[in-house]
Amino acid sequence: MIDPVIVEAPPVATPLATRRAIQSYWSAAFSRLRRNRIGMASGALLLFFVLVALAAPLLARLITHTNYSSQDLANTFANPLSPGHILGTDDLGRDELTRLLFGAQVSMGIGFLAVSVSLAIGATVGLVAGYYGGLIDGVLMRFVDIILAIPSIFLFILMSILFKPNTVTLALIIASVGWGSIARLVRGEVLSVRTRDFMVATRALGARDVRLIVRHLLPNVLHVLIVFGSLYLGSVILIEAALDFLGLGINPPIPSWGNMLTNSETFFFHSRWLVIWPGVMIFLAVLAANLFGNAVRDAFDPRLRGE
Amino acid sequence: MPGPLLDVHDLKTQFFTPEGVVKAVDGVSFELNAGETLGIVGESGSGKSVTALSLMRLIPPPGRVVSGRVIYDGNDLTKLSESEMQGIRGESIAMIFQDPMTSLNPVFKVGWQVGEPLMLHRAESKAKAFTSAVSVLGKVGIPSPADRARDYPHHFSGGMRQRAMIAMGLTTTPKVLIADEPTTALDVTIQAQILELLRNVNREFGTATILITHNLGVVAGMCERVMVMYAGRIVESGPTEDVFAHPKHPYTWSLLRSIPRLDADRHEALKPIEGLPPDLIDLPPGCAFHPRCVFAIERCKRDTPVLNRVGETQLAACWVTQSGTELRDA
Repeated sequence: MIDPVIVEAPPVATPLATRRAIQSYWSAAFSRLRRNRIGMASGALLLFFVLVALAAPLLARLITHTNYSSQDLANTFANPLSPGHILGTDDLGRDELTRLLFGAQVSMGIGFLAVSVSLAIGATVGLVAGYYGGLIDGVLMRFVDIILAIPSIFLFILMSILFKPNTVTLALIIASVGWGSIARLVRGEVLSVRTRDFMVATRALGARDVRLIVRHLLPNVLHVLIVFGSLYLGSVILIEAALDFLGLGINPPIPSWGNMLTNSETFFFHSRWLVIWPGVMIFLAVLAANLFGNAVRDAFDPRLRGE
Repeated sequence: MPGPLLDVHDLKTQFFTPEGVVKAVDGVSFELNAGETLGIVGESGSGKSVTALSLMRLIPPPGRVVSGRVIYDGNDLTKLSESEMQGIRGESIAMIFQDPMTSLNPVFKVGWQVGEPLMLHRAESKAKAFTSAVSVLGKVGIPSPADRARDYPHHFSGGMRQRAMIAMGLTTTPKVLIADEPTTALDVTIQAQILELLRNVNREFGTATILITHNLGVVAGMCERVMVMYAGRIVESGPTEDVFAHPKHPYTWSLLRSIPRLDADRHEALKPIEGLPPDLIDLPPGCAFHPRCVFAIERCKRDTPVLNRVGETQLAACWVTQSGTELRDA
């Protein structure tokens, strides 16, 4: 270590006690997010859906005393608030509330899994392409162009036929298309960050490529991932519901909000609530995800600061 | 007597652009002795920064070191593998950059960044490197370093950031410190402080310093030896005092006449160098300076001059002075 004192530190002008609290970019962003009431409310609603999804089996046992597939053919199309069935029953006498609870598992599970996988793949591809540039960038980005050029609904249909969809495979199918836009965004951000002097300065310290990418580039593009990820959640929930609705996603008897809609279409004229319940759930979940995503964007996107 | 610390021989760095090959550094040779301060001066595009980046092997594509040797500690740096080179960078040879405002990563605390070379080269833990960083920050004149190390770069002023950059370079006590225009982005009083700091670093640690600048005053105040570059070549080198007192190359001579002097007549006009720096893709034949040179003779248009001894202590690449002509006002 270095011992000799080179320069005497100048006397400190202000007492240390009066120094302002140091706020990092992250803590500043989080406090902006906390001040956004709509954002926090929608975040709470989203959290509620997640908790419901996680606790679905427990709630089913404690509150509805049934499971999602047990049929009661003597008690079909029961009205809401009928004894034992708070939200009524469907065409096979299955408890509607229980099925909605388990439906949350599908929506939330696929939603968060697909977003995570998309972010992981998209960030990796974007970082690598943007950092190395040249041929690697060209190949990766043309591949992204190809994926994004094919109508995604067609890709979803194709892959749903190739792979039997369950919660995990359906999430992967959605993510296999979703990572493309993220890779593009991240690459764009990396292109601007990597030309800044600190990247060369850090290389001049002897840092390796992996360290430069993971320790120095990634934190500088993290805000892109956070913002995109939170806005993307709403679309994933909607895409998943649409695939289920078309019969290309999760299939009965496993309940999902999408396939419950398909199932109840037929009975719309005499049992309207069977359409309304899952529709409202999808609406609320997507709305909460989008509002929360907007709040996150307002808090984290450095370009929106100072408004 | 051991050999020089750094021995650069016939270094050539070229950029392969669609418009043609840019010969940014075109056959540069010099030596740097332990503990020495060497100034490299030249105007923008003369190849001084590219020379420094070539030593560190940090030339961005489409640039490439095409030939030459950089001998450090018995190894040719141009031949080392990338991972061997990573062991040299920041450990034996550190570099400080021009713009302190953008040379620190905005998302990390200053102390963490200053300690990063220790994590990289000494395998120190994050906490230990941070403690070491605090002590180095104190040594480069950051007040209450323990508190300031927890700040982010945007809390620092330009001068403090440059001090932090210097601290970052010093944590591993390197043998060579390359400072690429370390004061260009700072105002004059801060410049003086940073130069004073670099002088002290050189004295206290015996760190050989290469100072790259276009500011002749900075070189005069700081460097024992100076190299003047023009169009990717060294046109003159020697002890700073001798070069400034008796320039042996018309370019140096013209440069010195183009800066204001305290002892000159008050109404004496500055004398700019006529013409523009040459296009590095399409250099003029012969001496690259001859179209702007008031002393140029026929031979200068034909043959490229080589660096040769002129006078007792200096080297100059000029046919005129090598033939014994003195540079004087016409």
